[in-house]
Amino acid sequence: MLEFKALTKQFKNTVAVKPATFTIPDGQMVGIIGRSGAGKSTLLRMINRLNEPSGGQMLFQGRDITALKGRDLREWRNECAMVFQQFNLVGRLNVLTNVMSGRLFHHNFFSSMAGVFSEKERAFAIRALDRLGMAHVALQQTDTLSGGQMQRVAIARALVQEPRIMLADEPIASLDPLNAKVVMDALRAINQQDGLTVICNLHTLDTARQYCDRIIGMQEGVIVFDGTPKELTDKAAREIYGAEAEDAFSEAMTSTALRPGAQRAQPEVRVVN
Amino acid sequence: MSTLTFATINEADVSAARKRYPQAFGNPLVRALKIGSWVFIAVYLAWSLHVFEIGKLLNASDRAWQLVSRMVVWQDMATWQYANIYRGIAQTIAMAFLGTLLGTIFALMWAFFAARNTMPVGIIRHAVRRLLDIFRGIDAVVWGLVFVRAVGLGPLAGVLAIWISDMGNLAKLYSEAIENIDRKQVEGVRATGADTGRIIRYGYLPQILPVFISLSLYSFESSTRSATILGLVGAGGIGMIIIERFRAGLFDQVAFVVLNVLVVIAIIDWGSGLIRKRFIGERGH
Amino acid sequence: MASITTNTPANGSDKDPVSLFESHRRQMIRDRMVVNVTLGVLFIAFLLWSAWISRFTPDRLAAGLPRIMEYFGSVMPSLQWDVLFESRDEAGRFPPGSLGFWYNDFWKYIRLIWETIRMALTATLIGTGLAVILAFLAARNTTPAHWVGVAARRFLEFCRGVPEILFALVLVFAVGIGPLAGVIAIVIHATGALGKLSSEVVENASMRPVDGIKAVGGNWFEQMRYGILPQVMPNYTSYALWRFEINVRASAVVGFVGAGGIGAELSHVISFYSDDRVTAVLILIVLTVTMIDLLSERLRHALIGKESLK
Repeated sequence: MLEFKALTKQFKNTVAVKPATFTIPDGQMVGIIGRSGAGKSTLLRMINRLNEPSGGQMLFQGRDITALKGRDLREWRNECAMVFQQFNLVGRLNVLTNVMSGRLFHHNFFSSMAGVFSEKERAFAIRALDRLGMAHVALQQTDTLSGGQMQRVAIARALVQEPRIMLADEPIASLDPLNAKVVMDALRAINQQDGLTVICNLHTLDTARQYCDRIIGMQEGVIVFDGTPKELTDKAAREIYGAEAEDAFSEAMTSTALRPGAQRAQPEVRVVN
Repeated sequence: MSTLTFATINEADVSAARKRYPQAFGNPLVRALKIGSWVFIAVYLAWSLHVFEIGKLLNASDRAWQLVSRMVVWQDMATWQYANIYRGIAQTIAMAFLGTLLGTIFALMWAFFAARNTMPVGIIRHAVRRLLDIFRGIDAVVWGLVFVRAVGLGPLAGVLAIWISDMGNLAKLYSEAIENIDRKQVEGVRATGADTGRIIRYGYLPQILPVFISLSLYSFESSTRSATILGLVGAGGIGMIIIERFRAGLFDQVAFVVLNVLVVIAIIDWGSGLIRKRFIGERGH
Repeated sequence: MASITTNTPANGSDKDPVSLFESHRRQMIRDRMVVNVTLGVLFIAFLLWSAWISRFTPDRLAAGLPRIMEYFGSVMPSLQWDVLFESRDEAGRFPPGSLGFWYNDFWKYIRLIWETIRMALTATLIGTGLAVILAFLAARNTTPAHWVGVAARRFLEFCRGVPEILFALVLVFAVGIGPLAGVIAIVIHATGALGKLSSEVVENASMRPVDGIKAVGGNWFEQMRYGILPQVMPNYTSYALWRFEINVRASAVVGFVGAGGIGAELSHVISFYSDDRVTAVLILIVLTVTMIDLLSERLRHALIGKESLK
C-alpha cells in the first residue's frame, strides 16, 4: 500500500503539486490524467524521488520513503521501476545491455564499472525481452530501434528490476496509436499477471478509461477527481481538462485507434510537451 | 504466462537462452581482446612509470612541501619591483602581437602556394607544404632558442620565434580554408559578368576573410601563451623574469607573476572572443 | 517598373521607400566608417606601442637578418656527394661530409626521441583518465554538488592555464632532473586542457539516459558510466589522440629545463655548438612530429568515419 500524506512540491515561484493525500492499494492500475502542466509528472517523479518533495510524506507498506537517503533511496528506486515518455535508454549501448542495466543496483562497484553481467542476468534479460516480443533485437544498438520498440525495451528494463511498483510517465505520448496500444497492453498484462501496482500518467482520457482500475484527475496541482472510470462523467472530465477538453476528447486520435483489434495505424505521432 | 523471478533462473534457463541467442553471452575472443588491451595498457603504464623512476616522488615530499609553502607565503612584498614585472607582461603581449601580425602577413602569401585550388603545380605545392611542416613542427620555444643564438638575448628573438611558428600554423590553416571555399558563390559572382578583381572581392574575400580573421585571433591567443615561456630560453618577455626569480629562489614572486599572467591571458581570451563575436558572428570558427 | 507598386508615402514625397532606404544605408555606412576608423587608429597605436616596448625596430631587424642568415649557414651540414655514404675508416671515424659524420650520434638521438614519445604516451594515458573523471565532476549537469563543480572547473582552468614547461621547471626542482618531472608536468597540463573540452562535451550530452539509470537505482558512478560515457566516448577518443600529438611536441621541449626527452640534448646542442648537430636533431624532431601527426590523423578519421556510418 502506497500512502500519500499531504505531499507537496514547490518550485521557485509556483506550486506544482498542492498537498495531496490519497492511498493506492497493492495491485491497482491507476491512471493520472490532466492537461499538460497539471503536475502529473511531478507527482509521479516524486514517488521514486527523481523530484524531491518539498513537504508531506509518502509511506510504502508503512515505511517512510520521503526520508530515504543514499543506498536505501537507491534500493527504493530499484523497487519502483519507471518508464519514461522519451524511453531514457542509452542509445549507444545495445538493447541487452540496456535491459541488464536494470540490475545495476545488485552490482558491486567494480563489476558495474567494468560492465560485467553474469550469465544468469543475461538469461533473465532475454526472458524479459522475450515477454515483450523484443528478444530478436537483443544485440542491436538501441538508437536504431523505433519509438514503440524502445518503449518495450524500457519496460523490459523495468521488469528485470523485479519491482513492486511500476511508474509510467506518459508512456505512450511519443508513440503512434498502434504502438501505444502494444505498450498499454503490456503494462496492463504486467499489472494483472504479476500483480504489480502500476501508476501511469496519461494525457488522453480514453486510454485511461480503457485500461485503468482507478483514475485520478489533476488540475493545477490539485487532485480534483479520484474514482473508477465509470464515475468519471463527461462533465467531470471537462472540468479536469478545461480548455484542452476538445483536444483530449478528440475521438479520432484516441478511442478509435486504440479500440482493441483496430489495425488501422494512424501516421500521426502525438507528442505532448 | 507465468511470472519469472531472478532467483528462479537456473542452469537450464541459462543454457536454453544461450542456445537461442549465443551472441548475447559474449564472444570469448572479443572479451579476451578487451581484457588483453586493458591489461596491456596497465602493464605499459606500470613499466614506463618504473622506467621514469616514479619512486622519486616518495623522496620529493620535503622539497615539494618547502616549495609550495614558500610559494604561498609572500614576503617582503615592497621589494618586488612591480614595474619590471608589468613591463615584462606588456612586452610579452607586444611580442605575441607583432609575431602574430607578421606571421599572418607572411602566411597569407604562403597559403595560396599551399592550397590545391590556387596552386595547380603539384611539386611547388608539396615543397611549400613540407617547408611549412618544418616551421610548424618545431615548437616556438625551440625557435626562440635558435634565434637567441642568432640575434642575442631579448624580445627580438621572441618576435622572430612567434613569427616563424605562427606563419607555419596559419599558412596551413589558411590553405585549408581556401581549399574549402564554396565554388558556387564564386560562380554566382562570375555569372554577373564581374572581372577578376571583382570576382576576388565579392566571390572569394567574403568567404575567406572572416575565417582568416578568426584564425589569426585564435593564433594571437595561443601566441600569448607561448610568449610567456619564450623568456625561459632568453627570448624576452615575462618568462625571463620568471626564470630569473625562480633561479634566485624567490618562489613567492614567481607565484605572483604566474597568477598575473593567468589573469592577463584570461582577459585576452575574453577580449578576442568578444572581437570574434562582434565581427564574425557566432558561426565564424 | 509598373509591376513594382510602392505604398503611398504618408508624409511628404521625399519619404518614399527608396529614399528612406538610401538615407538608412548612408547612415549605416557612416556608422561603420566611424567604427572602422576608430579600430584602425587603435590598431596602429597598439602596433607602435608593441614595437616600442619590445624594441622591435626596422633597424634592429635589419641588423639581425644577416646574423640569422649567418647562423643558419653555419648549422647547415656540409655534405659532399663523393663521400656521402662512406662508412667508418680504420680509426673508427666517419669522413667529413658524409651522412655518418653528420649523424655521428644518431642512435643517441633515436634513444632520446623514443623516450620523448614514451613520455608523451604515458602522460596522455594518465591525463585522459584523470580528465574523464574530472570532466564529470566539472560539468554543470553531472556535478555531484555545486561546490564540487566550481572547484573542479577552477582546478582545470589552472592546470590548463600554466604551460607545461613552467610546471616542469617547478617539478624538476621538486623531484629532480629526469623524465618523471616532464611526464607529471605534461599530465597536469593535458588534464586541464582535456578536462575542459570533455566537460563541455558532457554538458552537451543528453540527460535522459542518466535519468533512466537513476530510476533503476544506480549511484552517481553508474549514472556516469552508463548514462553519459557511451554518449561521449567517440569524442573523448578523438580528443585523446589529438592531445597525444600536442604532448609529443611538449615532451620534446620540457627537456629545456631538465625534464627528460630530446629537449635537453637539443638545448645543449643549440647552446654550445653552432654546427650541423643543430640541424641533425631538429630534422629528427620534425620528422617524428610530422609522422605522429599523420598517424593520429589517420586514426582519428578512421574512428570518426566509423562513427558516422552507424
